[in-house]
Amino acid sequence: MKTSYLIALIVVFVALLAPEFALAAGDEVSTVLEGAPKPSRLDYPLIAGISARTVAWSMAQMHLFLAAFVLAVPLFAIATEFMSVATGDDRFDNMAREFMKITMAAYSLTALVGGGLLLSLLVFYPHLMGYLIKVFRGQMLIYALLFGLESITLYVYFYSWDALRRGNRKWFHMSIGLLLNTVGLTLMFVANAWASFMMSPAGVDAAGAITGTVWEATRNPLWNPLNLHRFLDNIAYGGAIVGGYAAYMFLAEKDPVKKAHYDWMGYTSNFIAILGFLPLPFAGYWLMAEIYAYSQQMGITAMGGILAWLFIIQAVLIGTIMLAANYYLWSGLMRTDRGAQYAKYVKYIAVVLVGGFLVWVTPHTLILTANEIQTLGGTSHKILGPLGIMPAKNTAVNLMLVMTFLSFQMFYRSSRVPTVSWAKSGNMVVIALYVVGIVNIVGAGMYGYITPTVYKVGASVPQVLSTLMIIIGSVIIDVFMLRGAKAEKVHWGRMSERSQYALFVLPVAFTWLMGLMGYIRSSLRTKWHVYTIMKDNSPENYIPSLGDAGNTITAITLGFMAIMVFVFWLSRLGATKQESRS
Amino acid sequence: MLGNRWLVFGVALVVWAGIFYAMDKSIMETQGLPVGADLMPL
Repeated sequence: MKTSYLIALIVVFVALLAPEFALAAGDEVSTVLEGAPKPSRLDYPLIAGISARTVAWSMAQMHLFLAAFVLAVPLFAIATEFMSVATGDDRFDNMAREFMKITMAAYSLTALVGGGLLLSLLVFYPHLMGYLIKVFRGQMLIYALLFGLESITLYVYFYSWDALRRGNRKWFHMSIGLLLNTVGLTLMFVANAWASFMMSPAGVDAAGAITGTVWEATRNPLWNPLNLHRFLDNIAYGGAIVGGYAAYMFLAEKDPVKKAHYDWMGYTSNFIAILGFLPLPFAGYWLMAEIYAYSQQMGITAMGGILAWLFIIQAVLIGTIMLAANYYLWSGLMRTDRGAQYAKYVKYIAVVLVGGFLVWVTPHTLILTANEIQTLGGTSHKILGPLGIMPAKNTAVNLMLVMTFLSFQMFYRSSRVPTVSWAKSGNMVVIALYVVGIVNIVGAGMYGYITPTVYKVGASVPQVLSTLMIIIGSVIIDVFMLRGAKAEKVHWGRMSERSQYALFVLPVAFTWLMGLMGYIRSSLRTKWHVYTIMKDNSPENYIPSLGDAGNTITAITLGFMAIMVFVFWLSRLGATKQESRS
Repeated sequence: MLGNRWLVFGVALVVWAGIFYAMDKSIMETQGLPVGADLMPL
């Protein structure tokens, strides 16, 4: 056992140091002051009329979908594994292993598409790749090494599951999981450095000559906002996809025991997806604020130009995600005998969600004909127009998040009867928290209408904190109030088949949304490979039209969903056994 | 027992309102935006 401790210590040590090695690789200032390349149109290879941008875009987006999934799942797999140790409940352990099983099936595809992306970039954009290699130097090699380490730790983590399941060996196993996650996150942070450098270059002069260290280029202004946003998004996305897997298995299974297992897995996955999703708008807000701070022009391109219309589509998709997630939670009330008593509140939550959804999708100005503008008296509707500005949107999204949390809280409480003497008073304190918090969110929104823009933006912060305060305050009170609560039986598997389709909606909407948002983020560079440093002179150096982009993103989304269905089928096939001869 | 639950509700409303007001005020002031300043007309 002592050897196990030693190995576990080494693993933790390496896990803690890996990011240091990767991010500061080649950390010496370059002495060659050579500017960024200036390729002419002829320098971009034209091969058989293939659209270079579409190929690179498709490969990059598909790789990102798969990578987001395979990086996120080990994060919550290790958390679930830890739950099994903390509670002594093997169900958590089995579920964590099943999470990893799906990841294993997707991992080789991630590497395959990553290889395809690298090849397409080297073939179609050799000058850009050459420049990025010069800027990031040894970091690219370390990325390759880390990828190898990721593969090794992933395989060891999964295949050693049963061999290292009990006692101290379990801690050794979780140490491998910790190393896997550290390497995985470092890989993501490194790749984010390259993507964010292209948007907000640092460590180079105005001509692109390298004047700083690799660390300076890595720690460019948009790196950390992008890191946080992708980290949270990956968790939500990974949760949504394994939720889709659980729904697939729930619908396919006939055995009630297995159905119950997949129902529980679906519930947990939905919980993980919501957990990652709740803080995501705030991370997105920070990212956009940093984009504005870095370059107002870039910010206006995103929010004030043609791309602004995509934020309406974003609202539709996020609204879809919230409605689907809430519908699933409401359906879950039928799992407990006490659930019915909460059902009467669902309609009120639905009203707020649908109302918030409608406010969010209301544009400020409309695309109208001359006659319509004349009839309307302008491009903005007199009554609906005010709903198109940010105070209304912020209010709507915060209320929708609060209601989503309430739906979850109702299900959680439906299986627990508090036994503390102050339960009724405690409920009143929670209700008062909701009332005051909601009034504060709405009030701060209205404040935005009667104040200058700087106040409008400033007032959105108390709105966010009000939402977080409702959530955190309720959780703290519930923890104390439900201590020693009488547990009601949860009938896992007592769930309508219809509800499972809500779990399918989540990964589809998430995938589409990520594709659309990726298109916006990448388009912000407009005609630049590296913003203001290295110009894109290829024939496709313009922002694709919304229609073209929509078609491309939809095709990629469909392709990814086809891959996921294949992965789910593969996982099910792996668990299917033919009857023995005798 | 903490007494009449409606009384608790009333007290909780006042306490939460105080906490939220203090939070709003400190956040706005941290951003250099004094609460209650002479706001511009629309």
